[in-house]
Amino acid sequence: MLQSAPFNFRRIIIWLGRIVLAGFFIYAGYAKLFRPDLTPRVPPKMALTLFAMQIDSYQMVSGNVSKWVAHTLPFAEIAIGLLLLVGWQLRIWATIITAIVAGFFFVVVRAYAMGLQINCGCFAKPEPLTLGTVFRDGALLLLAVLMTVFAYQEARRPHPWIAAASERS
Amino acid sequence: MKRSLPLSLTLAMVGFAATLPKPAQAQQTPVAAKTTSARKPVAATPAAAPVATITVNGITDIDPTKTIGQKNAPLVMEVFTDFQCPACKQLYTTTLQKVAENYANTGKLYIIHRDFPLQQHAYSRIAANYARAAAHIGKDEAVELVLFQNQEKWEANGDVKGTLATVLSPAEMKKVEALVESQTLDTLVETDRQHGLTAAVNQTPTSVIHTKTGQVFPVVGFVSYENFKAFLDQLLAQ
Repeated sequence: MLQSAPFNFRRIIIWLGRIVLAGFFIYAGYAKLFRPDLTPRVPPKMALTLFAMQIDSYQMVSGNVSKWVAHTLPFAEIAIGLLLLVGWQLRIWATIITAIVAGFFFVVVRAYAMGLQINCGCFAKPEPLTLGTVFRDGALLLLAVLMTVFAYQEARRPHPWIAAASERS
Repeated sequence: MKRSLPLSLTLAMVGFAATLPKPAQAQQTPVAAKTTSARKPVAATPAAAPVATITVNGITDIDPTKTIGQKNAPLVMEVFTDFQCPACKQLYTTTLQKVAENYANTGKLYIIHRDFPLQQHAYSRIAANYARAAAHIGKDEAVELVLFQNQEKWEANGDVKGTLATVLSPAEMKKVEALVESQTLDTLVETDRQHGLTAAVNQTPTSVIHTKTGQVFPVVGFVSYENFKAFLDQLLAQ
């Protein structure tokens, strides 16, 4: 009964994951590009340089690499977030988003373990990296993993509404 | 078991969600706060300070011996530093020296060194006091460099004085010791720290860049020279 219902647990998690992760990604990309927290506003080029400086503070990559990441990541976040929301080729985007969130989680855990007193940079605004940030990213990773696994499982079985329709015809 | 899985997962998610920073916490916006507050005079200072401080571009309580560049530069940058912090060492040795050379020495940027000794570092205030005294006898650059370069050594044994002695002559060392012992410059270090607290600095290094138009950009942590350069160039081109 649980498995055949149109909104079973797996499907609810997939929907929740799509909405929550897409929301996080789209807002994160937008915030990095436009810095709504800054008054007066700064042009996107400057906002991206500020983001590159935040990546620098993690002390993981060289200045040129952080510059490249800063000029790529926000656009990727918005695009993947939108694709996840649309739901087209869900398994592909869910897998990619899970890999990205896993990357974020690793970076945040590493910085926290190293005792780096820096800003997270997750939403561009000054937000100190704390244990709360680690838990938040951990929760997002859990959601992303569940969404991806369930998306693959669901793809193997037709949706009950579709199955019923095809049986009728 | 099967039925309890959804419930357990939901509870786990709710638990994680509870750890999310509340909007007010997450905001913490040094940016907005700094725009208005960084320029406020700090109550505890200038009257008590035995040495004359200056005001540049609305930024008060600047010890002129701890600055690089020209006061009329289009950009002013306050760098809040703790001599015992590893990221400060990295910022100073790999980025700030180049920034000073290419921007401060060319009249584009006025750099203000602000001491921000953190409580958890046993010797950072002592180092700040000695560095301040050295700055007042004209040995700021050499002493800051030797303190950062030998950070691991003196933080292990607390021998700040011995580290300074490697770059100062005995006569200079005597003057520095006299200044430290007289405690006449301690208020300047404390004034810097108070400025940091007023500007919501809670991490080191924190670089606060001020433009002539009143924009304030706090930059937390280590920053590579490539990105610092790009940002300064963008501000200068505005």
